[in-house]
Formats: sequence, structure tokens, C-alpha cells
Amino acid sequence: MNGGAMRDQWYPVAIAAQLPQKGRDSLLLGEPIHIATDETGGARVTDGAGRILPIISRYGHIWTSLGQPEQDLFPIPEADQPGRRLVDVGSVKVRCSPLRAVENFLDIAHFPFVHTDILGSEPHTEVERYEVEIRDDVDEVWATKVKFYQPQAAKSAQGGITTEYMYRVPSPTCSILYKTSPPRPGEWDVITLFVQPLTEETCEVWPWMALFDDDSSMTDMIHFQQMIFVQDRSILENQIPALLPLDPGKEIPTRADMTSIAYRRWLKRHGYTYGAQLVAA
Amino acid sequence: MLSEVFVIEGVLSAPTFEGWVRSHADRIGVAARFRESGADSVSVLVEGPPALLDAMEMACLLGPIDVWVERIVREAA
Amino acid sequence: MNWTPAALSQDIPSGSAAPGQLGDKDIVIWRSASGRIAAWSDRCPHRGMRLSHGFVRGEFLSCIYHGWRYGDGGQCHRIPAHPELTPPEAIKVPVFAVVESGGIVWVAEKDAEPADLPMEFAGFASFRTIRTTVPASIVAAAFGCTGLELRGTLGGTDVVLLLQPLTDGCNLHVLAADGTGPDQLDRVSVAVEALRRQAESVQEFAA
Repeated sequence: MNGGAMRDQWYPVAIAAQLPQKGRDSLLLGEPIHIATDETGGARVTDGAGRILPIISRYGHIWTSLGQPEQDLFPIPEADQPGRRLVDVGSVKVRCSPLRAVENFLDIAHFPFVHTDILGSEPHTEVERYEVEIRDDVDEVWATKVKFYQPQAAKSAQGGITTEYMYRVPSPTCSILYKTSPPRPGEWDVITLFVQPLTEETCEVWPWMALFDDDSSMTDMIHFQQMIFVQDRSILENQIPALLPLDPGKEIPTRADMTSIAYRRWLKRHGYTYGAQLVAA
Repeated sequence: MLSEVFVIEGVLSAPTFEGWVRSHADRIGVAARFRESGADSVSVLVEGPPALLDAMEMACLLGPIDVWVERIVREAA
Repeated sequence: MNWTPAALSQDIPSGSAAPGQLGDKDIVIWRSASGRIAAWSDRCPHRGMRLSHGFVRGEFLSCIYHGWRYGDGGQCHRIPAHPELTPPEAIKVPVFAVVESGGIVWVAEKDAEPADLPMEFAGFASFRTIRTTVPASIVAAAFGCTGLELRGTLGGTDVVLLLQPLTDGCNLHVLAADGTGPDQLDRVSVAVEALRRQAESVQEFAA
């Protein structure tokens, strides 16, 4: 039985609109699963013993669990808001801990160096103080008032703007980012990172978006986001150690890493350690 | 340079905690002197530039795996 | 401890960084704009990113992840997220001893730096490095020798082969006799590739 406390969570395993006609083998928390289409055209997910696993179809994806989830999948109210375009970005397989993929998504200080001239650029490298909290009522990590100068914040952006961000971690391998919508400055674009933990050191990343953008083609929006994730992958596959350290004794976190530290504390408090390294090495 | 007292609260009874804090202070070049050590509260005088005091707070908030830091209150020394 | 041949000088041009190994340790070998060579631990102390993926500007190597900038002695000089901070001396990357001689970059543990300079190979010039997943002992045997410093001929040319054990195989640093022409060097290349294939087939047969 892999996964410990993470076993009872929901995980994305497929895009709901692109179910595999002939079925597809995959992994979840190191255990084999099979994703197939049933007689009615719906999804069916089974484990290695052929047991039918619970599923939810939401936010463009099929979600499943090897355990017994006590709670429904976390809410994203914006998913139902009129005027947004919902974008199934696809999947990117990454040779890194699923927790490292989430941590990187929560990071803004890398924008000028990894997403150069798109999400950031020198000399605009300073990370201003922002706010981070663990909201006890919903048991989520939140970072707010995050501001960063961006040369091209989104496919819909014309030139550089200071973008405001909020980050939310509602489950150990999922994060939701809210950022200033370039065409509608009063609204937030929603970009999510849903991560399927294949093993402790490999994951499938399923980004999904709910954007205000009436002009860009679907293909352009998908390509923009895929380009960003491919840039992130070159980082994620080259961090030492491969697992996410829950002891920072071999690292030097600074105030710019405040969201990372809050995320790791939250993982530690809940015993969400699949993909984590407990002792610094 | 700033001098602050970090009052670290949580489940801190692990005997390795004090050494861990000293070792991290050495790694990032801040001075750390323990004033009081208890199982649920520790107070440390920390001296260094503002950004490094913040960095010290970040590392201590997570800490080693056998302690749980609930919060850190920073006070001017 | 002796010096370990970790790379050929020609493969680390000014302004570049490359991954290497010393024993079981991952290192980054890089050369500054002015030509200074350095060998450091291949791990940014901030969040563990490999520095061999970083970029060189002037006399500094920066991590590609968050741009932390390091200079002489592995010392951190700049943390871009906190531009006001002058990083303290304590923040640094562990460094290795390094020396260049005969077109080879030699490295050693800093606290076990050999008293003598690396061996010189008069009459030979560094040519190329090839990597194999086969242990050094099997490569040496395929060449009809033992040890890590082999002499003989490849493709009709006198060569020195310096074998550098790696955690998953070894590097063959090939030195060819001075004055070897381009056509002859091509034949050395063909022969050293054949040597590698021979060693790999020996290993497969043994497995």
C-alpha cells in the first residue's frame, strides 16, 4: 500500500474529452492502473487487481483515488463562471517528484531566468514581500499579493505589465494560480497544475486553464502554456536530490521562497510524504 | 545589521534542534545565540542583514523532520 | 589521492560550463570569460539545481534556476530576488582543486590536493574524450593493458588513453602523438570507437 496519507486523495489521470478508446496503462503512487472507456462512453479506471476505482469527471479531467477519499474534489468556483474559456492543455511527463513539480509552480523568482522575456526579465528580478498563510477553515495553502513584472504575461498580453498573482494549494499534488487577466484587469485568469504522481520520482503534469481571452486560438493558448512547462521541465529533472526535502538543512531558502516553505510545512504537518525526503541529504 | 530575538514555538523537544539551528546560521552567515531552550519554546538572538534574518526565519519555520515549528515571533533585541 | 583527468581543456571553452565527475561526486567544470578554469560541486546551495546548467557572465557562474551568482572560490556574489543583499562569505559552493596541464583538466579533492603536479605526456596532445558505460578495467583489458593510463597504438598512431572511472562506466581521454594529421586523427577516432564497442560487447557477454 503506497502513498500513506496521500492514498485517500483524488488524482488526475486523463482528459475527460480525450478518453483512450483502446484503454491505457498508467501508474498511480507506484501502482498500476488502467484507464478505459466503458459501454456508455464514460471513463472507467481500474487498479492492478481489476478493482473499479472511484472517479470524478471535473475541471476537464478524470480524477481517481486508490484509497477512500473522505472529501469531494476541491472547489474551483471560477470553472462555472460565464465568459471563460476552458483549456485542456494536455500532459507533460516529468522525471521528478510530483511534489517538486508543485513547488516549482509556486515559485516566481525563477521567471527571469527560466522563462526569460516571457514571464520575467532582468533586471526585474526582485521579489517583493507577499503574504502566505495556511487557511485552517479550508485546510489550504494560500499566497496572496504576489506581484511581478512580466514582459508577456499571457498569450493575450500586449507588452510588459506588473502582474498580480495568488496561489492556492488545495491538495498535495494540485495547485491553482490566479493572475491578473490582461484583457480584463478586474478579473483573475485561472491556471492550474494538476499532478498525477506516477512514482516518487516521476509524474504526469496536467495543466488546465479557465481564461478570459476571446482572441487567441485554442491552439495558441495550449502552445503557450506547453512552452512554459517544457522550460520548467529542464529545471525539475536536474534538481538534487530528486525528492523534495522536508528538512531544508542542505538548502538556503530566502523570503522569496516563502510559498515553498509554507507548502512543505503543510505537507509535513499532514504526513504527505510520497515524493518527499525527510532528512536533508 | 539587525539584532532580533526569534521566539520559536512548537514541538521542539528533539535534542538535535539547537545544533540544527546553529548549523544553519553558520551556513548562511548569521550569528545565533540561544537564550532560552524549552520543549515548546526556544528563544534565539539572531544578528545579520535583514534579508538573512528573513532567510533564517524561513529555514527554521520548516526545521528538521523531528520538530514541528508552529510559529516564530520576531522581536527587536 | 592523485589528480583525476576530468575533461579536456578544449571541451570547456571560455564562457561555458559542463558537468563532470570526481569519484562519486557530481561536479561542474567551467571557464570564465578571461579563461580561468574552476571545478565546483554541481549543486546550487539555494535549491539544489545543477550548476552545470547555468550560465557564465564575465568571471561569474550563475544558476539557471534563480540566477544566484557565484565567483572565485565558489563565493556567492548576488541573489537576484534580493538585490539589496550583499551575500555573506558563508554562502558558497564547495570547490575542488583544479589544474590544467597538457590540454587536460585535472581535479582533486580540495583537502587532499596532491603535492605534485599532474603527470605530463611529452610528445602527445589531447584529442578527444569518449564516454562508455563499461568499467575502466574492462576497457583496459580490451586494449590489452591494465591500469588507468594506457599506452599503445590506435589506427596506426601512438596514443595515450587516460581512463577516468565514473559511477556508471568511464571516460576515455585520448591523447595522440604530436603532429598527427587530420586523416590520421580520423583513423584514431574510428579505432577508439571500435575499442569502445569491443569493451561493451565483452561486458554484455559477461552479463
